[in-house]
Amino acid sequence: MNGLLPDIRIVRPNDVAAAIAARQQHPQSSFIAGGTDLLVNMRHGLIAPQSLIDISRIDELTTIEMDGAGLRVGSGVTVAALARHPVIVGDYRAVSQAANAIAGPGHRAMGTVGGNLCLDTRCLFYNQSEWWRQANGYCLKRHGEICHVAPQGKRCHAAFTGDLAPAFLAFGAEAEIAGKQGRRRIPLGDIYVEDGLAHLAIAEDELIVAVRLPPTAAASAYAKVRLRGAIDYPLAGVAVALGVRGDSVASIRIALTGTNSRPFVLGGTDALIGHPISERSLQQIEQLVQKQVRPMRTTIASAHYRRLAAAALARRVTAALHAEQSD
Amino acid sequence: MTTVTVIGKARRVPLIDGIDKVTGRARYTADLDHAGALVGRIYRSQVSHGEIVRLDVSKARALDGVVAVVTSADCPHTYGVLPVAMNEYPLARERVRYRGEPIAAVAAIDTETAARAIGLIECEVRELPAYYTSAQARAPDAVQLHANKPGNLEREVHHEFGDVKAGFAAANLVREAQISCAEVNHAQIEPHACLADYDPLTERLTVQSVSQVGYYLHLMLARCLEMDTSRIRIIKPFIGGGFGARVEVLNFEIITALLARTATGKVLMKLSREENFLTHRARPQTDIKLKLGMRRDGRLTACECEVVQRGGAYAGYGIVTILYAGALLQGLYDIPAVKYDGYRVYANLPPCGAMRGHGGVDSRHAFECLLDRMARELGLDPFAVRRANLLEAPTRTLNDLMVNSYGLAECLDRVERASRWRERIGTLPAGKGLGMACSHYVSGAAKPIHWTGEPHAAVDVRLDFDGGVTALTGAADIGQGSSTMVAIAVAETLGIALDRVRVIAGDSAITPKDNGAYSSRITFMVGNAAIDAARNLKSILIAEAARKLEARVEDIECIAETFRVGTGGQASLPFIDVVKAALADRGPITVSGTFTCPPEAQGGKHRGGAVGSTMGFSYAAQVVEVSIDDATGSVKVDKVWVALDCGHAINPLAVEGQIEGSVWMGLGQALSEETHYVNGLPAHASMLEYRVPTTAESPPINVEIVESHDPNGPFGAKEASEGALAGFPPALVNAVANALGIDLDELPVTPDRILQALLERRRAKRIAALQEAAS
Repeated sequence: MNGLLPDIRIVRPNDVAAAIAARQQHPQSSFIAGGTDLLVNMRHGLIAPQSLIDISRIDELTTIEMDGAGLRVGSGVTVAALARHPVIVGDYRAVSQAANAIAGPGHRAMGTVGGNLCLDTRCLFYNQSEWWRQANGYCLKRHGEICHVAPQGKRCHAAFTGDLAPAFLAFGAEAEIAGKQGRRRIPLGDIYVEDGLAHLAIAEDELIVAVRLPPTAAASAYAKVRLRGAIDYPLAGVAVALGVRGDSVASIRIALTGTNSRPFVLGGTDALIGHPISERSLQQIEQLVQKQVRPMRTTIASAHYRRLAAAALARRVTAALHAEQSD
Repeated sequence: MTTVTVIGKARRVPLIDGIDKVTGRARYTADLDHAGALVGRIYRSQVSHGEIVRLDVSKARALDGVVAVVTSADCPHTYGVLPVAMNEYPLARERVRYRGEPIAAVAAIDTETAARAIGLIECEVRELPAYYTSAQARAPDAVQLHANKPGNLEREVHHEFGDVKAGFAAANLVREAQISCAEVNHAQIEPHACLADYDPLTERLTVQSVSQVGYYLHLMLARCLEMDTSRIRIIKPFIGGGFGARVEVLNFEIITALLARTATGKVLMKLSREENFLTHRARPQTDIKLKLGMRRDGRLTACECEVVQRGGAYAGYGIVTILYAGALLQGLYDIPAVKYDGYRVYANLPPCGAMRGHGGVDSRHAFECLLDRMARELGLDPFAVRRANLLEAPTRTLNDLMVNSYGLAECLDRVERASRWRERIGTLPAGKGLGMACSHYVSGAAKPIHWTGEPHAAVDVRLDFDGGVTALTGAADIGQGSSTMVAIAVAETLGIALDRVRVIAGDSAITPKDNGAYSSRITFMVGNAAIDAARNLKSILIAEAARKLEARVEDIECIAETFRVGTGGQASLPFIDVVKAALADRGPITVSGTFTCPPEAQGGKHRGGAVGSTMGFSYAAQVVEVSIDDATGSVKVDKVWVALDCGHAINPLAVEGQIEGSVWMGLGQALSEETHYVNGLPAHASMLEYRVPTTAESPPINVEIVESHDPNGPFGAKEASEGALAGFPPALVNAVANALGIDLDELPVTPDRILQALLERRRAKRIAALQEAAS
């Protein structure tokens, strides 16, 4: 239970191609950048890579670039650097707010965009020491047969708790992924699956190299609930990007984290386009959230609370963005 | 009495070990020289309750690199903090009673080998029913955790003082509340660690550990290892916080010593954060039923209180905790009649123990909440209702607690003024609220747990050729600043510069025995002993100075390191000259000073009457301002105003720090801290899931020091480190009531509990409206 780190081989490739090759060469390996999630999980015995492929020194991954197609954020950019980047602060406020809401200053200085997007899912039955999980008969997500959150079910309900994903999703971001076949770009939302056991739909030897944010005219914001104002993962987090034309909604995208095994874009909000934001539409948003989130008893705080808080946040952030643009 | 010259408001003394700490020079147990030390590791029960059928450590023992393996066979003795309730083995014997209980331990050449050895230990346990709540454990058909404790009760307390029935009959308003407080943990920053070194040639054992009470550790090691106390030495390194976690001797300390002796060498044991939570010994989950009687003018007529504490698997400090919960209902206000029923319950969870504000915090919380609710019902201001019930010092409470100084009235005035309560209460915008509460705490238990008949505190002071004055004390400075207090007391009494005094604390080979850092006893008891020792040295020096100056002893004064005849006299001698003359006469000087609480301070004659007894209480009042987000249920503490009567602030800087710390710890218990067990497994056992407040939650704290000058305190001082804690949770809950109109019966006040309460109110209103429409 002292959380020993085993002997590990560190590989330090200089570019993305070398990183992918190294990942293939060392089957029992993991990519590591900031390590703020990985090392804790290793100490808990949740993962036991024999080699770590350190991608923190690959230049291509650590830049933020603008081009006609918007902003390309390297996956190795630290959370702290992302939070203070002037274009992010100016045009993609939800991203900056989400970055600033992650953990504490130390984690933000080390943790990276890619790491936060690929954060392992969390559950109070999973994020425990080896001793603890063994005493509890392990669980579906690691070594075990049953999910203690929903013992009758067949799937793992561990929740995704990254803060950046919903903020990027609210802008319709794309992920640029490198693999042995070369590079591909897919909508960011497509890398996530509603399964706590295997929530990432990217191959093990693939690497997210960048997130692409399209140009936007929408105003945006991110808010999360947690027990403390720092350190804690979101019990629920909501990002909203809202474009307003005249008095009416021109575009709206609401994305959530912390409530499901994946971050997701709230469905059904298109119905709000073309109408002003009213008490009725805010209630609609609350109802949509309450219907679509699937919080389970994966945290000490109740699932019911996370559902209500997610809905309340979606309403509040939307209303605030609307008020802001109506001024 | 010495005239106070160098101490007092003008002297804000940084802690004498502060620079060592902030520069990283300070060495904590895990930093000590452990070259050549073996790594200790503990094999713990994975079962909540059961009989050990088979324990096989042979494979672990046979593993290369394993030097020692110990089990209960190596220690057939129980240990515990209370001589009357030692029912725990350092390594489980025959039965395990909670998940995480140590069963065996290994010492190996490195961490990997130790971990592998732990994995090779085989233990078969026949499971018994396990109980995780007081109600389950108290059920009529529940299996007993301990053969001699029917009903799984460690102790029942039934106390009645005054005529309770008549009191309630005389009341205009009688109300009850049922309040539940979650279990909390000290979460001290330094994880537990112990370094034990056994020399087989001399058969001596040296242990350096995180203990708050090296003396208990000394006694328990002698008992468990069957060693003569003279062959054991206990050294206290720097300690990163205690808060009660380390008052009891902890199982890992004995285990480390057992390993060291078996290995005939040095063993370092460092516990993980999870193991710290398993070791526990903190504030129990508590259910309180409280009934108060009040007259229309706010005057209390009677109090009836039932407390049920879920104490965990072993006795630990339990008897004292359950007694404190009742005893400390008194001593704060004047209550004509008090009835108390306390139940300390065994459950299959890590044992509880002492934690800052020991025993008094949860019942005080209930009391201050109900007091506010009743005041509201009677249309009385929260300050007014407290002022209607003040004590008048000197007095003795119904349960025979001694009150010689009482600054509560001034505390109330000060926080009322500072918070602009009168102007602001009732005028705050929606979602904002103000609440207040009072609290108190003992300045040391007047009757020590280990009764020996010896003085309650002893300090030695040495003086040698270098002119330095060295104070030797067994009192453990655990960050609270007690060594600095000793230095000030000695310097002040002698009339010398503070930096001429060096304090050596907590080494049983050098320093006199001390009862340790618990119940906020050190300033009062050790402070008085330090003054006594310094006076004894001073009288030697004054006699010497009188001889040299050819003056009468009673005419000599030492001020600012100069001995003078009279106050304005011309004849004078520098301190160092007098020292030289004294040493020439008699060689190096060592004198002792002591302090003993007189019998009249040691509590009533009723059973358990010693608990709560003290030389003096500190008193506190505080106002808390909150903002509440009714959509997410989040509570933000905007500001705290707190006043504490510490008798006299020997070092105002340290007093302020201790008050802020108490408030902050109360804030944690009120807002976010709680343990959460899943079938006896701690789901909270990390600094992520056990939520101590971060800087983001820490409000500005406006501290007011009130000085009531206790007649027996050192320079008039009383305790300052615990008294302000218990007032925070009720002040916060009262502020939430002020903001939302909702009375919460559960701690902590987490966002989900607030939201739930708001929903329930909405539902109740809806139902009421429907019923109205229907009728």
